[in-house]
Amino acid sequence: MMLSKDRIGGVLLLLFCLIYAWLSQDIRLLPFQERAAFHARTMPEILSILGIGLALWTIILPGKSERPELGGADWLKAGLFLVLMSAYGFTVRPLGFILSTSLFLMIGYALLGERKVVPLVLASVPLVVAFWVLMTQGLDVFIEPWPGFLRE
Amino acid sequence: MIEGIMIGLGTALTLQNLLFVMMGCLVGTFIGMLPGLGPMSAIALMIPIAASLDPSAGIILMAAVYYGAIFGGSTSSILINAPGVASTVATSFDGYPMAKQGKAGKALAIAAYSSFSGGVIAALFLLVAAPFLASVSLSFQSTDYFALMVLGLVAVSAFAGKGDMIKALLMTVIGLMLSTVGTDQTQGVPRFTLGIIDLIDGISFLLLVMATFALSEALMAILRPKGDADRKKEKEASENLGSMKVSRAEVREMAPVIGRSSVLGFLIGVLPGAGATIASFLAYGTEQRIAGPKKGAEFGKGSIRGLSAPETANNAAATGSFVPLLTLGIPGSGTTAIMLGALIGYGIQPGPRLYVDQPEIFWSVIVSMWIGNIILLVLNLPLIPYIAKVLAIPSRFLLPLILFFSLIGVYFVSFNTFDIQLMVIFAVAAVILRVLDFPMAPMILGFILGGMMEENLRRALLINNGSWSFLWERPLTVTILAIAAACLLLPFLTGWLRRVKDRAYEKTSSSGD
Repeated sequence: MMLSKDRIGGVLLLLFCLIYAWLSQDIRLLPFQERAAFHARTMPEILSILGIGLALWTIILPGKSERPELGGADWLKAGLFLVLMSAYGFTVRPLGFILSTSLFLMIGYALLGERKVVPLVLASVPLVVAFWVLMTQGLDVFIEPWPGFLRE
Repeated sequence: MIEGIMIGLGTALTLQNLLFVMMGCLVGTFIGMLPGLGPMSAIALMIPIAASLDPSAGIILMAAVYYGAIFGGSTSSILINAPGVASTVATSFDGYPMAKQGKAGKALAIAAYSSFSGGVIAALFLLVAAPFLASVSLSFQSTDYFALMVLGLVAVSAFAGKGDMIKALLMTVIGLMLSTVGTDQTQGVPRFTLGIIDLIDGISFLLLVMATFALSEALMAILRPKGDADRKKEKEASENLGSMKVSRAEVREMAPVIGRSSVLGFLIGVLPGAGATIASFLAYGTEQRIAGPKKGAEFGKGSIRGLSAPETANNAAATGSFVPLLTLGIPGSGTTAIMLGALIGYGIQPGPRLYVDQPEIFWSVIVSMWIGNIILLVLNLPLIPYIAKVLAIPSRFLLPLILFFSLIGVYFVSFNTFDIQLMVIFAVAAVILRVLDFPMAPMILGFILGGMMEENLRRALLINNGSWSFLWERPLTVTILAIAAACLLLPFLTGWLRRVKDRAYEKTSSSGD
């Protein structure tokens, strides 16, 4: 069986649908709800059947037999950006908006090839400060700018 | 109707709303021009700002961003042959050859005039069609709404293209599944929360849209970076635009094309699922046929008609797609699905009652379409040489900024860092599915319609004492479901007919030998 794009995607989504179907049986129903024509499990059960059926169709009768092109793609860099985004999520509160965002942008620019310090700083810190001012002063959306140890 | 237009003018022409239309058009053009970022990402990026405004202003801003992004997408199609969205692919067929002939300025002007005319004419149709359809749909019941939603979801998948329909349907179901995460609306039971408190309220649609569109677009660009030749092409294109003047003879050539393509675009746009892409390709093909052998041969080599037709049709279809959104509360495209999500966020339920209960929103959206198109023409066109400079910004600066705006856009709404982690997870899934050519728009449509679909199905079953017979007993419901079934079967039927025809042709040709 050839591993085409459609088949790989179909298998991944079939797994998702199977887990969804399994979890749908964990939805708690009160005794009187179980006999109702429509309850919290009805839609998930219908969707599970539909999803599994369509995923199987995609695997058995794929529309296209094209193979995925994995070569030439910079998977490491994309992975590093995922780590960077996740780290930003963990640091935006303890480090404060200005420091964490400036670091996020500077590391991002550096990962994509910018090596000069001046453009790294100029394309991040002033922009982050301006954005913070716009959000807090212009749109009344407050976000803590400073790291935890500098706060009162 | 006159009263409605006056209400709309009164709301849309306030200084604040005019400023939002201007800002929306400019920002939309700017974002739409960035290859890879289309109207869906542009609107999604605007939602956090729109959420802090009153509903009319917010919707006006998003509609302006929508038009701006379509215009911006056409600009990158013409200048660098890189359509940001599928609906501007047909624009590049003749726009890019014109740019290569040194007539980029003229091509941009033709695109702008055509978009303007298509948008304005279609808004006139909308003015008539929307109130009519809204009054008709007041008699719709939950069973009909359920059927309409099925039709909307099926139609989006049916138009996904040969071999892609099942994948699109599967993605729609995935979207519907994701919409069931969180507390059940009627029975208050948690579903698929995996014991995580942050999932009790479900997945935010903004989070899903940002992760699957803006974040995954940027990650795809990081995954497959552009070569030096592409970057050089973008820089050169942004610097040499040439004259923007359009001659009288050219205007005369464009006028009938604009008329025909506006009608065609609007009608296609009204159909759920069809949208601007199909409209632009159909208009292009129709005009090529009408042009005759001599003029038709110029198509693909820098034809004015070939540029004007898809540009008019995609804008007219964008306007047409607001008809099912405003009157039935059912989005006809991924973009209008995002707008529906934003409206629901305001506590507004689009549908026939919107026309009756909140006429100021209904009419101000329609009026703002005219204003938006005028602003696009008088403000954006002269500014294009400057806006085009965005194409020269190095991607090493642009991509981290797109990631930042996407993450912070979601964080500023919820102030929950869990959302950032969830975005990363969805972005990974979206990148994998994009690499495997699975479409994202049907998933978003399924996600947004999921809650409403479940609610309408529940109501329909309640009204019918738990019997599913409404699916075949109520004539209107049956008709809508029959259309949905026809949409599903049509691609298979046409494929089968083609095969039969091919076989018959082979037989006759072999017997002739």
